[in-house]
Amino acid sequence: MMDDQELQELFSDPADQEVIDLLRASRPAAPPLDPHFRHYLRAKLMAEARDKLAAPTSRRWFQWGLAPAMAAVAAGFLIVLSIEVYLHGQPAATPQVAVNAAIDNKKDVATAEPIEIQFRGPVDKTAVEESVVIQPATAFTKHWDGQTLVITPAHPLAANTSYKVTLQPAAAAPKTTAPKLNAAPTPAPQPPVVVHFLTARAPVPPIVPPSYRSDSVSWLNDNRLPESSTLSSPVWTPDGQLLVTRPIDSASPAATASAMPRATPTPSATPKAATDVWLMSTQGTLVRDVAPGGSYPAVAPSGGMFADWQENSPDHATLEVRDLQGNVQVASVATVNGRPDGAAVWLGADRLAYLNAGVLAIVDLHGTVIAAPVLHVSGAMAASRSGLLLALTSTTGSVVLDLTSMQTAPLPNGAAGFAWSPHGQLAFTIPTGTGTALYAGSDAKATRKIAASAADETWSDLNWAPDAASLLLASHTGTGTATHSRLLLINADGSSPATFGSSQREYGNPRWSPHGDLVLFSRQDEAGGTSLWAARAVIGQPSAVDTAQGQALAEVDKFMQARITGNLAAAQAQLDATAQQAYASGASALLSPGAPFARYYPVSVQLTGPNKFLIGARVFIARNNQEVSFFEEQLTVVLQDQRYLIDAVTSTPTVQLGHGPTVVSVEVRQNGPAQQVLVRFDADLKPVTISANTMLIKDSQGAVVTAVVTFDADAHLVTLDARLRPGSYTLVVTTGVADITGAAVAQDYTSPLVISG
Amino acid sequence: MPDSIEERELVERAKRDPEAFGALYDRYFPQIYRFAYSRVRDQSLAEDVTSEVFFKALKNMKRYTYGGHPFSSWLYQITLNAVADHYRGQRGEVELEEGHDMASREPAVVDEVVRRDRSRRVWSAIDQLPKQQRAAMVLKFGEDRKIEEIAVILGKSSGAVKLLLHRGVERLRRELPQLEAELGTP
Repeated sequence: MMDDQELQELFSDPADQEVIDLLRASRPAAPPLDPHFRHYLRAKLMAEARDKLAAPTSRRWFQWGLAPAMAAVAAGFLIVLSIEVYLHGQPAATPQVAVNAAIDNKKDVATAEPIEIQFRGPVDKTAVEESVVIQPATAFTKHWDGQTLVITPAHPLAANTSYKVTLQPAAAAPKTTAPKLNAAPTPAPQPPVVVHFLTARAPVPPIVPPSYRSDSVSWLNDNRLPESSTLSSPVWTPDGQLLVTRPIDSASPAATASAMPRATPTPSATPKAATDVWLMSTQGTLVRDVAPGGSYPAVAPSGGMFADWQENSPDHATLEVRDLQGNVQVASVATVNGRPDGAAVWLGADRLAYLNAGVLAIVDLHGTVIAAPVLHVSGAMAASRSGLLLALTSTTGSVVLDLTSMQTAPLPNGAAGFAWSPHGQLAFTIPTGTGTALYAGSDAKATRKIAASAADETWSDLNWAPDAASLLLASHTGTGTATHSRLLLINADGSSPATFGSSQREYGNPRWSPHGDLVLFSRQDEAGGTSLWAARAVIGQPSAVDTAQGQALAEVDKFMQARITGNLAAAQAQLDATAQQAYASGASALLSPGAPFARYYPVSVQLTGPNKFLIGARVFIARNNQEVSFFEEQLTVVLQDQRYLIDAVTSTPTVQLGHGPTVVSVEVRQNGPAQQVLVRFDADLKPVTISANTMLIKDSQGAVVTAVVTFDADAHLVTLDARLRPGSYTLVVTTGVADITGAAVAQDYTSPLVISG
Repeated sequence: MPDSIEERELVERAKRDPEAFGALYDRYFPQIYRFAYSRVRDQSLAEDVTSEVFFKALKNMKRYTYGGHPFSSWLYQITLNAVADHYRGQRGEVELEEGHDMASREPAVVDEVVRRDRSRRVWSAIDQLPKQQRAAMVLKFGEDRKIEEIAVILGKSSGAVKLLLHRGVERLRRELPQLEAELGTP
């Protein structure tokens, strides 16, 4: 067995050979590997390599001159398309373009990353970029990095969705100085390139919201954001992306601005600024420069807008408001003399607080100054989620300013580091003689000391968990070189402090993502620098009902996989007698009579009774490996003899893909005594088509229930707020809903809603 | 041999051509990451080390000269240095050194071993070896490196590497039956 000459010479004892044979017959288990890491590191290395290795030699047809831009964008996990489409049958002298398109037929594609298409040959860039179409309808920007077309969706793509990118390759006519008789050949028309890919599957939301109490939260998959040592003042956007301030002169896309999608510049003539504000994905991809020359972004609590400072000169700065596409909404909300002290603070959706030479100032979005008490502020300010209260530390003490009455209420001396929870609780720290005391309360007038640090420990960077069950904070111990920084999670009542993350690392500045699935933080690396990291939060054990939901979904998955593979017996094994009868009588087709079922995913999951779920499953049909249509089944899944079985089924007619926007998920959430129905679409929609007339909830009698309809364009999300009594309802999405191209929903979409008692 | 000629050409090109460096990265990433992970047993840390290895390689690419050994030897060397740098800078790191007895394993380690089959068990046992023995064993039996190459990587003579391998195998031979008896598994 031992066939390695070296080993044969070294080990002659048969007993040794037995161990060696065992070693050679096995291999250590493959180490866990984040599939993105390899691509991320490669992109970083290539950016560096192009900077360090590539000599400025003679120009080639393949343009690497814009490599820094390409590299910086590639600093995330760019999608590289790779179908080689070579064009045959054309005259040899005819210019040709080859398209490199690898994403084709890829699955599990991330929803928030740019799409990259590489070209070879003398490509007509203008013609190509004008030909790009994405289905479902998707707004996007595009730019060239050398020979690579980078397509950046304006919003994250929808999950569970088949996308089709179509473009028309076109070759540029080569320049020639030859006489007319030998004129360059005219580029021949080339066939369009069509690329399909499937976005990652979205997790099924839990029925019982998880608790963020300190003993039930942990994290995993630390992910260092590329170039993050150069980034500052990161803030979350409502849809879970980041705005960061980035030096304009780093080796970056910003340095090659002409190649990158840049937002509209500030109208005023500005000198070269030191920083830009970038929209960045949580994978670290710089999506777009949303505020050239900007700094200190502050994201509005809703509406997809942010404020940033533009330093027009060393002694003059302007506060502007832009949307997340980078379009200027208000060019000058306010100005300050000197440099801004920090980010402005949104007071609700339409007012901003900022400091002018250390004095509090409040303006609305028209730039109108709102009268406020003269308060000299030291340190950061924090506004409540409602925008009605502002906590700050002034030279005369810490206060909460009521923005309705403009009256102040005092806080305990030394209060600072304010944090408001989504539910209106206020937390802050007060330095003690040697440590830090942590205060929190249900409102500003009812705060109390809930915890205190050790004697040589200071606490800062308070951050409420999304459900306000706990506070995440940075802890710093020691002095000089013998210091240690860590993150602590403390329950809202001060109990059970727990170290969050590895005790071996140096952490700081924690920030929960809006959805509570990620924590952004700074971490000192081995080289001594500090970078931004994001870690995925794991929230405790699922509730009993969520465990049951998981079991029901697992049985549905077995059922669907059996149908996809054509295993009739295995599919039938998941049905009880009633459901078998229903399928046999034509309620739906167990196996596809024609093209095979390609895939499925759960569109909705509802708990409709004890151990009973209604699961909406979308089943796709493919032809030539491309999904062409789908239908939905509503499966009633019931616990029978300690196992979930499908008990009933209804199905919808088949819907052809590519004919207008479609609903990709429906979720019912309890919201206090009322309900929220969240409806997500696959396409960017025309906001004007979303209304209570096009998005309806009907009761079992067909009567329309009063609902407030709101639309979040960034997330393709329509929310219907309504008060529903226990019973059965129907969500109706009418053909009045249209995407940004004007294409309407092909046919009314309905989905059952069950409100259990 | 054609492989080594091809590799030498690729390495030479990588000194001036980013794409060639990318090809080297593609070729060697899996084994360097695997080796880094075998040394640190922490995904995040293995990523850090792997990242550091390739950035250092890039930084020093132009100074690299072919010395008759595969390019990967150099990368392994950088990996070992990066791992050593990490442990030097880390407080409270528990690293088993020469002289530690495998019988003193923590219960959690035993629990871990119980879950594995025999071939996995032998690799778990390698994890418990002193670090030089472990590196030599992983490079020889996990990465199929030649003894001479391992010697270059570890900065030791071939004889010293042979000794490390010999001791490692002897130790496994001694410990494995005992371990299996303790665990009550075949």
